[in-house]
Amino acid sequence: MNQRENELDDVMEQLSILEPTAAESPRPAGPALADLKPQLQPRHNLINTFLRSLIMSQNRRMATAVATLVILFTIAFSFPAVRAAANEFLGLFRVQKFAAISISPDQIAILEEVANSGLTPGELVIVNEPGRTQDVDSLEETQAITGLSVRSLSALGEPSAIRVMDGGDGRLIIDAAQAQELLRLAGADPRLIPDSLDGASVDVNVFASVEQEWLDGTFLIQTESPIVNYPEGLDPIAMGEALLQLLGMNPTEASRLARSIDWTGTLLLPVPQNVATFSEVTVDGVSGLALTSVEGYGSALMWQKEGVVYILSGPSQTAELIELASSIE
Amino acid sequence: MVSTVSDNHLIERISEGDMTSFDTLFYRHYDRVYGLLFRLVGNRVEAEDITQEVFLKLYHHAFAKKLFGSNREHNIGAWLYRVATNMGYNAIRGRKRRWMRNVWLVPDTDDTPRPDMELERMETKTAVRQALARLPKRQTQLLLLRQMGLSYAECAEACDVAPGSVGTLLARAGEAFRKAYQEEVNK
Repeated sequence: MNQRENELDDVMEQLSILEPTAAESPRPAGPALADLKPQLQPRHNLINTFLRSLIMSQNRRMATAVATLVILFTIAFSFPAVRAAANEFLGLFRVQKFAAISISPDQIAILEEVANSGLTPGELVIVNEPGRTQDVDSLEETQAITGLSVRSLSALGEPSAIRVMDGGDGRLIIDAAQAQELLRLAGADPRLIPDSLDGASVDVNVFASVEQEWLDGTFLIQTESPIVNYPEGLDPIAMGEALLQLLGMNPTEASRLARSIDWTGTLLLPVPQNVATFSEVTVDGVSGLALTSVEGYGSALMWQKEGVVYILSGPSQTAELIELASSIE
Repeated sequence: MVSTVSDNHLIERISEGDMTSFDTLFYRHYDRVYGLLFRLVGNRVEAEDITQEVFLKLYHHAFAKKLFGSNREHNIGAWLYRVATNMGYNAIRGRKRRWMRNVWLVPDTDDTPRPDMELERMETKTAVRQALARLPKRQTQLLLLRQMGLSYAECAEACDVAPGSVGTLLARAGEAFRKAYQEEVNK
């Protein structure tokens, strides 16, 4: 055994003092597992529902494409890495328009692994938790609760259900080293997050949204655009470039595209290429984004008009949804 | 002949709703994940809590792999250690923020009187933790995993380094630790 190995053995011996003693042993695995089980169930159901509807039951139409959309958002934004990028991104804009970028299953798998690595881009402080949903009886009531001028689809008549989801607010206190590590793990250039951002705060305020549902599976969601205060010195193009690299774009292409996008008003939506296709459309008199399920489960439209963001989805073709959107009032 | 179902196969089964496969993975890796976390955070309750979170992530990981059609096989044990290390460090950082102390990897001590030998052991432990806290995360992770008996290949995967470089990296980490420890003792 050489000197180097001997020295390492000595270190290992020193470190053995950190081993748990009998008194420090964990409780048995059985009770620990029993405690964990209840936490597994909701996710299990959620994902199974998604899998059944989206992947496994290919012959069964999804009740509504908005479920896909919402789940896509949920999944995408449940990845800290993506959420981090989104938070950085949200910090730069109020939604003026939507754009989409195709993301490959391989890149999603990488992001998912990064997300599960436990790294976070900083400390997420939720001041008011968003997401509490309440059923309401009328559009007038939603207006009173949210302050929104709620519009509806006259072509479909009265919605079968109306819900209001609470807004919320919070902030991300950036840990530059960890954010850089996240980028590195995802194959992006960590230098796009400058050290100077360490400790900076991105404040996000999300407003209440109104969801209307019809019996044929059509959904209309509307909400005021989120407001974000972002740290001074944050370079929107560099952040956009980081986001594009995070989504799998090569550095040259990301750099080129980042300079062509108005990051102060464009919400970039990552669309898994095995789940949906997208195109730019004119809807409600403005430019919007259309998403179509590759499995034929339905379509969704997203657009912004007069400061309000709309998502319309249903088990229909894009053209039918655009036609339906023309009845919005 | 006893056949052992591979971790990757169990992950596949979990994504199909087979909870007994999750149980198998849990029993298979629970002690070692806890062992790593205890070494990191030095507190039984905290180590147990984070261990639960690590396995919760494993559960989600199984579904995400299925959902997005990722067929990449990898060493689940190494994956768990990587996640555990990062979550352990997150907890330590949170602790640091909460208490505004520039002390990492040092668990809370209580005021219970201790016999001399135990006191000495506690002091040694603290010095070891302080020394580890001064190393880059990857060096600490590498040393702890090796001390737990992981092979070079497992260490390489958990620490995201080339297998051929583990020997050199371990030697450097060991040297850095010895230096840091000496400085702690001389304080």
